[in-house]
Amino acid sequence: MDPLEHAEAPHRRTREKGAENLKPGCWPPWSRFSSWLECVCVVTFDLELGQAIELVYPQDVKLTEKERTSICYMSFPDSYSGCLGDTQFSFRLRQSVGQKGSRFGPEDTYNRDAPVTLQREVAHYYGFVYFRQVKDVSVKRGYFQKSLVLVSRLPYVNLFHSLLQLIAPEYFEKLEPCLEAVCNEIDQWPSPVPGMTLNLPVMGVVMQVRIPTTNDKLGGSPLRQSQKENLLPAPMVLPTIHELDLFRCFQSLLIHIQMLWELMLLGEPVVIMAPSPTVSSETVLALVSSISPLKYCCDFRPYFTIHDSEFKEYTTRTQAPPNVILGVTNPFFIKTFQYWPHVIRLGELKMSGDLPKQLKVKKLAKLKTLDTKSGVYTAYKTFLHKDKALIKRLLKGIQRKRPSEAQCAILRRHLLELTQSFIIPLERYLASLMPLQKSVTPWKTPPQIRPFSQEEFMGTLEHAGPQLTSVLKGDWMGLYRRFFRSPNFDGWYRLRHKEMTQKLELLHLEVICEADLQLWLKDKSEVEIVDLVLKLREKLTKACRQQLPVKDEVLEKLECRIQMVIGSLPEDLQTVLLRH
Amino acid sequence: DMELRELKVCLLGDTGVGKSSIVWRFVEDSFDPNINPTIGASFMTKTVQYQNELHRFLIWDTAGQERFRALAPMYYRGSAAAIIVYDITKEESFQTLKNWVKELRQHGPPNIVVAIAGNKCDLSDAREVSEKDAKDYADSIHAIFVETSAKNAININEVFLEISQRIPVVDASGASAGKGFKLRRDPSDSRRNCC
Repeated sequence: MDPLEHAEAPHRRTREKGAENLKPGCWPPWSRFSSWLECVCVVTFDLELGQAIELVYPQDVKLTEKERTSICYMSFPDSYSGCLGDTQFSFRLRQSVGQKGSRFGPEDTYNRDAPVTLQREVAHYYGFVYFRQVKDVSVKRGYFQKSLVLVSRLPYVNLFHSLLQLIAPEYFEKLEPCLEAVCNEIDQWPSPVPGMTLNLPVMGVVMQVRIPTTNDKLGGSPLRQSQKENLLPAPMVLPTIHELDLFRCFQSLLIHIQMLWELMLLGEPVVIMAPSPTVSSETVLALVSSISPLKYCCDFRPYFTIHDSEFKEYTTRTQAPPNVILGVTNPFFIKTFQYWPHVIRLGELKMSGDLPKQLKVKKLAKLKTLDTKSGVYTAYKTFLHKDKALIKRLLKGIQRKRPSEAQCAILRRHLLELTQSFIIPLERYLASLMPLQKSVTPWKTPPQIRPFSQEEFMGTLEHAGPQLTSVLKGDWMGLYRRFFRSPNFDGWYRLRHKEMTQKLELLHLEVICEADLQLWLKDKSEVEIVDLVLKLREKLTKACRQQLPVKDEVLEKLECRIQMVIGSLPEDLQTVLLRH
Repeated sequence: DMELRELKVCLLGDTGVGKSSIVWRFVEDSFDPNINPTIGASFMTKTVQYQNELHRFLIWDTAGQERFRALAPMYYRGSAAAIIVYDITKEESFQTLKNWVKELRQHGPPNIVVAIAGNKCDLSDAREVSEKDAKDYADSIHAIFVETSAKNAININEVFLEISQRIPVVDASGASAGKGFKLRRDPSDSRRNCC
């Protein structure tokens, strides 16, 4: 890897990894763009039509009428907001029924290698919005109101909002050619690959990001701009593509962190009422990420409006509130959601002395009038006691002017350790359900994974419970019991079960590889041998289709063995088998 | 250890004068007569050794079409050098070049190195811009001047070499220009380069 390997004076050539120098036109148009974004649209306010999509790239993007309408509504602040200037927020919408799913199938290598919380959405889109509202006498309404929206299946909230900050102001000034140029530049970006650090050139700037992988050490330090002072023009290094400033998002809720974490863990129905779409969407996304590395498996809407296509479904009074978290701004919702079990009403941030004023827990019955005060409206009692030391440390940090990043890191670490303390006993128990390695034998189908028994699991807690890693006291057992009924448990269990099944399959392949085939073949009939060949082939195809991490040597060896078995058969059978 | 310096370079000039072809000749040493017009801009990199430094050119190849004209400032902003290209067989493209020089002088970075490339010098039968006129003009604005042929690989590397020569030297303390940093050869560094 000596950069001077092909040296020739005086301007010596050096080796450059070619990925970013692919000639435009070497790949189908929009193919690289689509690995990042579904589309980019401009939503404007038309006096006759209301909100309308003015411009969309790629022009032939497949969006249903319903999806277009949703994007239009969710790209504008829902209720009158006096905020002039630029606003950024995010939304999430459900893909219409009948719409073709993601072109990235379930066996997408990105989703295999990315952390579960960063996987590509299969049935939802994210919208990342940059909304501009300024006085403009040349417009009938007196205001210029427009949104630039990035629609993606990737939850890269930080990356896409940073991108918007670069491109939106330029777009509003230079219009269509600017957007065309940006889309073309994104179409030259290398596709996101977990574990890779990528240079993403756009509008004369090179953004540098690292895509996390499922193998990352948790709680490790993010990408740092190490040579910042020496590099001109520096690449713009984003420390993270997806993490929000949890501390800022939870400033007025610090004393309720334990409750928030439990509500998220249990997938409880929660409504966030916020003064702006920005606060609403950031709070919802921060909450959803608070149980990471566990995936929040319920629906969540960072910014939900009365125009949302799921409005009726989610607000019907005939059923119990669904397991979703909704972020809203319209005061109209107070009435709609007064029967929901948990409503967090955020106001403008108030200070008491030098500390952000903490919201109080209030009775749900008080949630009736439009001028309802901010507060946490719930009857929920936490299973675990809150970590008073953490709250004290964070509040002290504010007084001592500890940087926001450091506060955020403390909070993130606390949440991570809490989630891990909760999940490790489950992981350990699940591992014990796996059949013993020695019970996997070549000529039998692999043994079954034992079923998950809640009672058996509870029995393990006494000796191997969360008390080993967490100092928090309280009703851990009760928390587990509630968790078993939540969609988050279901999602976690299904994923793990799938992984274990694949692991078992992998083990089986390896055992077959090592088996003494000659010995087995000795007293077998032709039918049995043909059957073996077909079974082995099926296994190989399945392994490839599921992209099991089979070692190349195992694959080769197995291929070799199949050939050997075929070779042991009479010639007519050989031709038949080789033809298939 | 070598100093690695990253140099942002943009290509400007009329549509069809061969900006992308020059970049392709420099970066990949190839030529495609049917190259598509650039939309917005293309980005490419190439690292070359110059004396005891490594110069990593971050090349922004801009579109020549009029409708993209207003985007140019994003690409020349922060550039260490600009290569303004004209077609020696099109007088008009030389006039456009003069407008680019004016724009850079008014809005470009104060110390930007300007190189003028008279491309398609393989088509001298159809020449409309004399080499002497162009050279005189370049001298009058203290710009680098070369006639190039991306097609026949004439003077392409030379343009970039001359840019390397004109980039202000970093003094011993590394304090003056502040454009370089030590090239470390640890794994994290090689990872940075492979994407």
